[in-house]
Amino acid sequence: MGPLAINEIISENTNLFLAFVVGIGFGFVLESSGFSSSRKLAGVFYGYDMVVLKVFFTGAITAMLGLLFFSLFGWVDLNLVYVNPTYLTSAIIGGVIMGVGFIIGGYCPGTSFCGLSIGKLDALVFIIGLFIGVGIFGAGFNWWEGVYMAEFLGSPKISTALGLTDGVFALILILVALGMFRGAEWAEKKFPRAEY
Amino acid sequence: MRKSTSSKTKYLNPYLGGVLLGLILLAANFISGRGLGASGAIKSGVVTAVTAVNHSAAEKSTFIKEYMESHSGSPMKNWLVFEMLGVLVGGFLSGALAGRLKLQVEHSPGITSNKRLLLALTGGILFGFGSQLGRGCTSGSALSGMAVLSLGGFVTMMAIFGTAYGLAYFFRKNWI
Amino acid sequence: MKPLFWLAIFVIPLGLIIAAVPQNTTHPYKLSATELLNEANARTQFISPETVADLIVKKDPTLQLIDVRSRDEYEKFSLSGAIHIPITDLLSEENLAQFDQDVKMNVFYANSTVVANEAWMIIRQLGYSNIYVLEGGLNYWFETILNPGIPSSTSADEEFAKYDFRKAAAQALGGGTVSALPAEGNAAPAPRPAIKAVPKKKKAAGGC
Repeated sequence: MGPLAINEIISENTNLFLAFVVGIGFGFVLESSGFSSSRKLAGVFYGYDMVVLKVFFTGAITAMLGLLFFSLFGWVDLNLVYVNPTYLTSAIIGGVIMGVGFIIGGYCPGTSFCGLSIGKLDALVFIIGLFIGVGIFGAGFNWWEGVYMAEFLGSPKISTALGLTDGVFALILILVALGMFRGAEWAEKKFPRAEY
Repeated sequence: MRKSTSSKTKYLNPYLGGVLLGLILLAANFISGRGLGASGAIKSGVVTAVTAVNHSAAEKSTFIKEYMESHSGSPMKNWLVFEMLGVLVGGFLSGALAGRLKLQVEHSPGITSNKRLLLALTGGILFGFGSQLGRGCTSGSALSGMAVLSLGGFVTMMAIFGTAYGLAYFFRKNWI
Repeated sequence: MKPLFWLAIFVIPLGLIIAAVPQNTTHPYKLSATELLNEANARTQFISPETVADLIVKKDPTLQLIDVRSRDEYEKFSLSGAIHIPITDLLSEENLAQFDQDVKMNVFYANSTVVANEAWMIIRQLGYSNIYVLEGGLNYWFETILNPGIPSSTSADEEFAKYDFRKAAAQALGGGTVSALPAEGNAAPAPRPAIKAVPKKKKAAGGC
């Protein structure tokens, strides 16, 4: 049955419209959880606000379990769902650069749109920076194309790489995440800050 | 610039927020066969802008050519662009309902707003560049990647958070 | 702490279940039983030996013959250009990759129709198109193409035309000893089936 667009149960235009609807839900939930505030987002790195950790991992686990159960019931064909490809070198270097950007700017692209939607001007400036950054990447593409394409491993799953089944990995991730949440609660008690 | 207010504002319980987020991500995968994302919409914007403003440069650019080859039709008629427009609407609705709509530069009391804006710009440039190299940002690579168990997504996520944690000490004055 | 507690209570059992259940790795059937039965009854998957012979003689690049018999049989005799996929290995990943396309006509053949038709039914039900079965198999091929029977004098013109064509094909394909005149204009080979364009299996785009 699913994914609906890939199995052509819905048209491309319906797909795009539903992307808009999904986006509304995404934006609403992010903003309601406080992801429109760069200070709350940065809090995960200092212990005073662990909302990023909690929301992020709960979200990942929920979606992961959801997909696995849907596949179990035959509601979705997991072979047709996009799995991000792995280009090891650029994944790491890109991630590091993004990490620097995150701790300096306090936003990521998705949350910056959230911030913009409620009037945060620093979010707007962050977005301008995003355009510039992408532009720089595109302009100099020939210089880093080699790095960009290096170490292509296909689209392996973490579970396969560790020699586990998807379900077992999901269980392990759940337990690890719950452990992290415990730690997060402790950190927030230890480094309290006023809500903003 | 107005300082951010210190009155308490109500946010959703983070675990509930996470479950809802996960359900939305699940819906995206079920409907469109892909997860959420954000930086790709910026890429679409850049491609559109450059092609419109300087056609010859666009022709010579490998970056833009490769994009056009793998995407038929207008670069803006793209799943991520529609999704991000939705994000703006959804965020606005949530902010409006909670009374959080306010034009402001949010910054820690320890720094000035101008400094904050400079930091935001710098962070944005770095993040924009990094997201292209890493083929995704925290939404597309880390969150959506994790949900489908992608190794690449997981690696990028570890790199982002690991680096940020490692450098947090040096930037603490900007936040705490 | 309370919300975390409830989250754990809910999520851990789900994780245990999903970890315990064996993974679903089967390919889903795309055609319903009714649809498949209709196609099987319409017999549209059959392709006549004349058509195949014609394609071979013309060196049509879209023809892909697939021998589903055992390796010994394949090595002893196979049709020109045929590849070997024994029916026992039909569902292996590399072999399935052969069917996920819309460029070639995959034609199964065996000694008679039975095994080739089984292969067709299985592959067709998984949703692949452009799959055919050589009518009558190799047995019929030998009878009609390589050693065509001379039609009796009271047969219709078509039969003669068919016979002429078969003789010519036989010569081209290395059977029979009778030299023959080249086939007449409206000789038999049925128009070869059009390749059905497979809607490009939409690969989900994604990432960022």
